[in-house]
Amino acid sequence: MLWLHLHFPHLLLDHIRRSGENVAALVIVEGSGQKVIQACPTARNLGVKIGMRLKTAISLVPELGIVRADPPQEARILEDQARWLYRYVANIVLVPTNGLLAEIGSLQRMYGGLPAVWRTIEEVLHERQLTAWIGIGHTPLAAGLVARNGLGECSSDTGRILQILGTMPLLAAEFDGRTCTRLQRLGLNTLGEVFNLPPAEMARRLSPETLAYIQKIQGARPDPQAPWQPPHYFRQQADFVQDIEQSQGLMFPLRRILTELEKDLCWRQQDTDCLLLVLQHRRGEPTRLRIRTSGPEHRAEAFLNLISLRFEQQPLQAPVASLRLTVKRFLGREVPGGQDLLGETQDLNEAWHTLISRLQARLGATALKQLAPNADHRPERAWRTSEVRRPSPATIAATDQLPRRPLWLLQGPQPLTETPKAWFTGPERISGGWWDGQRVQRDYYIAQLNSGQLAWVFRDMREGWFIHGWFG
Amino acid sequence: MSELLNTLMKDARVWQGHRHTKTTQAAEPTGYQALDNQLGGLGWPRGALSECLLDAPGIGELTLLMPLMQKLSQTGKTVFWLNPPHTPYAPALAREGINLDHVIMVHTEDKGDFLWTLENCLRSPVTGLVIAWPGKLAAREIRRLQLAAEAGSNVCVLFRDRHYAEQNSPAALRLDLEPDVQQGLKVNVVKRRGSWPGQRCSLAMAHRASLFHHETPRVVQGPWPAATR
Repeated sequence: MLWLHLHFPHLLLDHIRRSGENVAALVIVEGSGQKVIQACPTARNLGVKIGMRLKTAISLVPELGIVRADPPQEARILEDQARWLYRYVANIVLVPTNGLLAEIGSLQRMYGGLPAVWRTIEEVLHERQLTAWIGIGHTPLAAGLVARNGLGECSSDTGRILQILGTMPLLAAEFDGRTCTRLQRLGLNTLGEVFNLPPAEMARRLSPETLAYIQKIQGARPDPQAPWQPPHYFRQQADFVQDIEQSQGLMFPLRRILTELEKDLCWRQQDTDCLLLVLQHRRGEPTRLRIRTSGPEHRAEAFLNLISLRFEQQPLQAPVASLRLTVKRFLGREVPGGQDLLGETQDLNEAWHTLISRLQARLGATALKQLAPNADHRPERAWRTSEVRRPSPATIAATDQLPRRPLWLLQGPQPLTETPKAWFTGPERISGGWWDGQRVQRDYYIAQLNSGQLAWVFRDMREGWFIHGWFG
Repeated sequence: MSELLNTLMKDARVWQGHRHTKTTQAAEPTGYQALDNQLGGLGWPRGALSECLLDAPGIGELTLLMPLMQKLSQTGKTVFWLNPPHTPYAPALAREGINLDHVIMVHTEDKGDFLWTLENCLRSPVTGLVIAWPGKLAAREIRRLQLAAEAGSNVCVLFRDRHYAEQNSPAALRLDLEPDVQQGLKVNVVKRRGSWPGQRCSLAMAHRASLFHHETPRVVQGPWPAATR
């Protein structure tokens, strides 16, 4: 077994810098907000040092961006790293708070040797703008020690690894304080000297736990690891140092997250139709936006368009401190075919469905209607509405025998309030409805009003005159 | 750079006062030869907004669009009616030879939805024609629609009140519609892209009620007292 350990010296810092803000100098302070624990290169150039008191740092750099470390957040960010690493390595172990362990012994053949594995990982790290120290070891603990001390070498030779470990000073070997002091009192200064002690002696003089620890580093004692399983959902979060007030400002981090979603979906060979976007505010309830697409989708651009539509519709209620995108619903991806039997291209068919379901999703299903003539003599019943459906390229029904009718029908007849300028055809008597109680007996005329409008007017049985339509 | 300028000239995006160059705008013929002639032989511009300004329905404004709607619905393009003020009467549309399967009515509650719907319809490749009754629109909103129209290559006709004629608008074509004698429709070009406005023509629209102008009114006087009307 060969293990690769990725140690992220300032993961939180990298994470925030990726969210795409141009904060000049950035530091991460510990939970109590007293001490600087991570500092970006800009801040370091200005004199901020790790371990410095925050007050000192602020007096050095007045415009310092400050983020407080938050353990749950760090754990989540670490898991995000495991997610992308999972595409390259199958067996991953999370090492809180900022390490990932990957079993790479079994991957060497696939990638074509250890240097290729190393290079692949380095490239991905670079692409993701992450700082990580890589260490390779024959045991998980050895790899971790090598990585954390920045001594990583691209070598799978156990002797060489032990040699590197051997030169490590005791303080760097992460013994607890008491053991470290005791070992130093024994006159031991490097880990190599500890390795050379006979195990029985060591167990007697030191605690059995120390022996176990050393044997686990050496590989003489098994050190089983629980592999991490990727969750069956996609989740990404962007945290901002300064609150974002304009939705436009969210587009940059969103674009990055959606690109990652696209990659993730491509990798899963799946699509999704529902995104959940949660915008956290400093105060008050977070804003939850559910972005639905009409059909399966994986393109970042399409999602981005939908989201920006949504922001247009619904402006930000409060400045946003962080945003989180979650996808839990995955759909199998369909292979787009060419033309179907009816000669319609998949594209147009899909575009039609996309458009209609988009409209229905926003306006409600009843907002879209199709019209059709209905077999009835009464004008208000001579048409009906129906649900929208994809038309089949069938022939048009013969329509010659339809009578001349106006293009506009009023919602209901309206009283005619003026004497028309001219009368044209008429009367056309429409009488019916005696069978269902909606009796209609009217004489229809076409008349032109003084305004020049051509109206369809009728006189009913009670001698009233009404306008029923316009010849538009 | 010069290529960029050429494109601008060709698409008639730069107005060149005295020069009348033949432009290459995509357009759909209106189906009325007289009107096409006034519009530089083109017709309804595609990928741009057109506005029809009129006072009241019933003067032949829909009949103006019938040839185009007929053509598009029969070639399988979808025709959207957005917020029509009255019910488009299905038997009359069917009689005009319009395939009603390709006609979709959309009703929106508020202006945000209206603009959004119109934009979406305009951008889609399945759309052939969108006719919409927007009511009051700010110049900014028309600009937004114009941009959406440019993204697709569909004809979009907005029916608006005639008093908006004084308001400027980014629409590529603006027609002022008035009733004319003998049930005709007087079309006055308020604005068109790439040339001077001011063309006028009168279209015979009497066929919309099966009337022919040489005919005398065919009203049969009934037994009722006609003098009151």
